[in-house]
Amino acid sequence: MASRALAVWEHRKVVGLLVRRDLKVKYQQSVLGYAWTMLEPLALTMVYYFVFGVILSADRGMPPEAQAYGGFVLFLVAGILPWTTFGAILNEAPRAMLTHSKLITTMKVPREIFPMATVGTKFVEYILTWPVLLVFVFALGGHFTLMGLLVWLPLAVVLTFAFGLGVTLFLSAVNVLLRDVERLVRILSRLLFYGSAILFPASMVLSSGIPEWLKTLYQLNPLMGIFQMHRAVWFPEFAELTPSTLALTSSVVGSILMLIIGYWTFRRLEMSVLKEL
Amino acid sequence: MAQTDYGAGLTSGPVIEAKGLGVKFAVNRRRKRSLREMFIHGTKRDPNAEGDEFWPLRDVAFEINRGECVGIVGKNGTGKSTLLKLIAGVLMPDEGEVHVHGKVAPLLELRAGFNDNLTGRENVYLVGSLHGMTEKQIDERFDEIVDFAEIKSKFIDTPVRHYSSGMKVRLGFALISQLEHPIMLVDEVLAVGDKAFKRKCYEAIDRMLANQRTMVLVSHSERDLRRFCNRGLYVKGGGLALDTDIDAALAAYEEDTKAEIAERKKRDAAKKKRAEEAEKQIDDRESGEDGADGGRTA
Repeated sequence: MASRALAVWEHRKVVGLLVRRDLKVKYQQSVLGYAWTMLEPLALTMVYYFVFGVILSADRGMPPEAQAYGGFVLFLVAGILPWTTFGAILNEAPRAMLTHSKLITTMKVPREIFPMATVGTKFVEYILTWPVLLVFVFALGGHFTLMGLLVWLPLAVVLTFAFGLGVTLFLSAVNVLLRDVERLVRILSRLLFYGSAILFPASMVLSSGIPEWLKTLYQLNPLMGIFQMHRAVWFPEFAELTPSTLALTSSVVGSILMLIIGYWTFRRLEMSVLKEL
Repeated sequence: MAQTDYGAGLTSGPVIEAKGLGVKFAVNRRRKRSLREMFIHGTKRDPNAEGDEFWPLRDVAFEINRGECVGIVGKNGTGKSTLLKLIAGVLMPDEGEVHVHGKVAPLLELRAGFNDNLTGRENVYLVGSLHGMTEKQIDERFDEIVDFAEIKSKFIDTPVRHYSSGMKVRLGFALISQLEHPIMLVDEVLAVGDKAFKRKCYEAIDRMLANQRTMVLVSHSERDLRRFCNRGLYVKGGGLALDTDIDAALAAYEEDTKAEIAERKKRDAAKKKRAEEAEKQIDDRESGEDGADGGRTA
């Protein structure tokens, strides 16, 4: 285990190379390049604001005082941007090993680096969404707080990518042996999108009339807590918009668990995966 | 350079050691089995239901010393490439173990790692770095690589997807032959390229072998094997049948091939005979059945 970690560390340069290659390929093929990374979530935000904010008035779940700090629009943007990244991880995770089959079957490297490169690429893309987010923050009057920037932000980012890496390790190995996983993940990612309360404050679900056990179940989804954290960065003083103790615990424990399960599965299936590639 | 020291600093012990090596493939279970198959065909309809394990290689043991050039011969599908993959470390054995001391230059799939959307230059840097070359090393050898690959300078900055397959393979060989790893694994790659390029490849390999490097070669070309190798491993039916000099290994392989051809001829002849007899019988029976039918309708 320790020697394996060392081997991965020694190959960190390879991860960097793969990430750089993926970004290069992605951005040189389209004319607008980087602009696409921003346009897509922007368009989504507009649509969702219209449907959920204006028509369904999901903004009633927001505390009225939050209006001064960016309100529902900032809430939407701060959730949709990280979700775009996470959704992309989910989307590409099943193919993380398959697309590199030629390299994997000719080069002796620790195989973990391929899922790691996939997640690494997404991390860089996530960083690239920050300018867009900051534009919204400044335009809508979002405010910077110590609590938000030093507690919620690092926690949200670390947990998102820990969970993402776990999922990628798991899916990339399983999908080689069972190609149906790819389709399944597409459906699952839709469900998680709504299950993680990206478009409406989670407090709306918790204060609704659904049975108590369903509310507990809802908070046990680690992603729900993680994405609440992403928004709590800008609204740390509102209890409705920060994760509950249960949600916080389940997102921390869930992320660590996912990472362990993902890695364990990956190592477990490695031999069969190499035979199938 | 680190890579060359790696091999040179080693004591006289074997460079590649294999002990009781075995690999197993599941034939029917877990093998690219999508859910559809799992639900629609039960195990009953699976054509490979009996014996769900297959050992392409088993109980293989050998040691290869530094500076040796070993040829692996054998029929198609006897596990030669599998053996090479085990040595390269890109396949993990189910039984036994293989130890390789020193870095390995895998000439297994020359286009491996080339990304179609990147230019030739970018690909050289990418794949070179993936194999452990530093940027400075690649800088120094870049012209040599491009020159060896016979790629015109105006194409080197064109995306590789516009290259012909020959160009890609040439570039791949030119690059990997620049690696200074002490162990080379070669799988049939000498069969690529036109005559002139082939000759250049031979020279490059000779040059690489000249400074005490170890090579394992899988090939069907007797000429290549005789030219480079001083030792031969004859792989037969998933096991190591012979471990001698290359001529003896090739001779044994030749003999077995001849025996097999003779065997097949005999079998074909027998089959033909049986078929003829069966036809005769059917003819006989058909005429009999006609008679019976006629009788029933009457």
